[in-house]
Amino acid sequence: MGIETPDNGSYMVAAYVVVCVVVVGYAASLWRRSKQ
Amino acid sequence: MTETLRLALVLAAKDLRVERRSRTALVSAVVFAALVLVIFNFARDPATVTAKMLAPSVLWVTFTFASMLTFNRAFALEKENAAIDGLLLSPMPRGALFLGKYLANLAFVATVQAVTLPLFVLFFNVGLGQALGGLLLTIVLATIGFVAIGTVFSAMVVRTRFADLMLPMLLLPFLVPPVMGAVAVTTRLLSERPLSEQVAWLRFLGVYDVVFLTICAMVFPAIFDE
Amino acid sequence: MIPTLDDAHATIRRGLLITALALAGVATVIIMALWLTPTEVRQGLAQKIFYLHAPSAWAGLLAFSLTGITGGLYLWLRDPRLDLFSEASAEVGLVFGVIVLTTGPIWGKPIWGTWWTWDARLTLTLFLFFLFVGYMALRNALSDPAERARFSAVVGILGLLLVPFVHLSVYMFRTLHPQPVLLKPSAPSMDPRMLRTLLTSVGVFTLLYLGFVTARYGLSLRREARGVADGD
Repeated sequence: MGIETPDNGSYMVAAYVVVCVVVVGYAASLWRRSKQ
Repeated sequence: MTETLRLALVLAAKDLRVERRSRTALVSAVVFAALVLVIFNFARDPATVTAKMLAPSVLWVTFTFASMLTFNRAFALEKENAAIDGLLLSPMPRGALFLGKYLANLAFVATVQAVTLPLFVLFFNVGLGQALGGLLLTIVLATIGFVAIGTVFSAMVVRTRFADLMLPMLLLPFLVPPVMGAVAVTTRLLSERPLSEQVAWLRFLGVYDVVFLTICAMVFPAIFDE
Repeated sequence: MIPTLDDAHATIRRGLLITALALAGVATVIIMALWLTPTEVRQGLAQKIFYLHAPSAWAGLLAFSLTGITGGLYLWLRDPRLDLFSEASAEVGLVFGVIVLTTGPIWGKPIWGTWWTWDARLTLTLFLFFLFVGYMALRNALSDPAERARFSAVVGILGLLLVPFVHLSVYMFRTLHPQPVLLKPSAPSMDPRMLRTLLTSVGVFTLLYLGFVTARYGLSLRREARGVADGD
């Protein structure tokens, strides 16, 4: 009776995408504001 | 020190006298409290949600929101008459200004609570009995802290255009620890658990009060620096 | 003490540079988390969200604390640059707050079966976020810079004091949230490779905070410097 590892990779992907979007997005906003 | 206290009491008395004449804040708070109690009573399905389950949360939601209605009033009145400038020009120790406002707010809130509690007992059919003393203690401990914070924030937001929106926005996060504690203790007291079991939460509430009362008294003068 | 335009530009440049470095660090952490760290058997791949979620929470808390501390220092020393830093840290804190409050539910759904629960830590993180929002709203509603600085500082200090009560309530309330693994007196109970990834991520996110806040602070400095140059 082994432990079944749940198949939830899609959540991981979603979270990682969110983080990248927010982090890169904010960095881009700072860069854009610096050019004004 | 006693001079500060004396001045504070004079200020508080003035606030209470003004309110007694206009009565608006108190009346709106009490009406609000009654409305909330009635609505919560009708809005639940009696079969699944007993009054006893809902009661502690309803009580504390009512207390906190009704109290917030009274805070802005205390400073709005004076702003309208630019009376604050008169107060500031007078040679008064700053501590007295905070203490005066605080005591007046405390009196307002206590009045609202004094009216709400019997209504609550009536509508929710809760047997207070043994729990009354402990409940009163909890109410006092949970209230002292957030009234201090409400006094500070209402002094600040009265200078903005959106005072009635800003006050709840700023104040609500600060209500979470005392309300959590108050609801936890109230729930247990109404389930006839002894007061002695609630010491941890009561101590938590007490520490919260001491910390925030002190800091609020200290930062209040900064609001009026010119 | 009015900042010069040159100081402002130099600060912005430095901030952007640190940010670029930190972004490379984030990429590294992602690679580490996805390919160089074992998958937790019971929780599956979704557990790896932890390597981004927890460090973001740390960075958010850092941002928040510094907003409060520099606010307090402003009330004491009245140096306007302290207020400008406070403002920068609040905005950056909001960004990390968004990350925490979005990755949290995405993690919660597969692991706990629910997007949200009103347990103590989630509730209070949400409220700290509201406090940041309130702080920014208050700043926007006040036009006099000195008054804005003083009032923001008061909110910042009070908010900072709220945090330990938040942390304490978490322990006093039984919650769904995993009990803090690292900040217990006993040793962290975690596979060494997982720990390595986590600690690297914490370092990277700290660097990211530094980069963000420096650049944002530079922007505030520039706004003040330009204000004077325009003869305001």
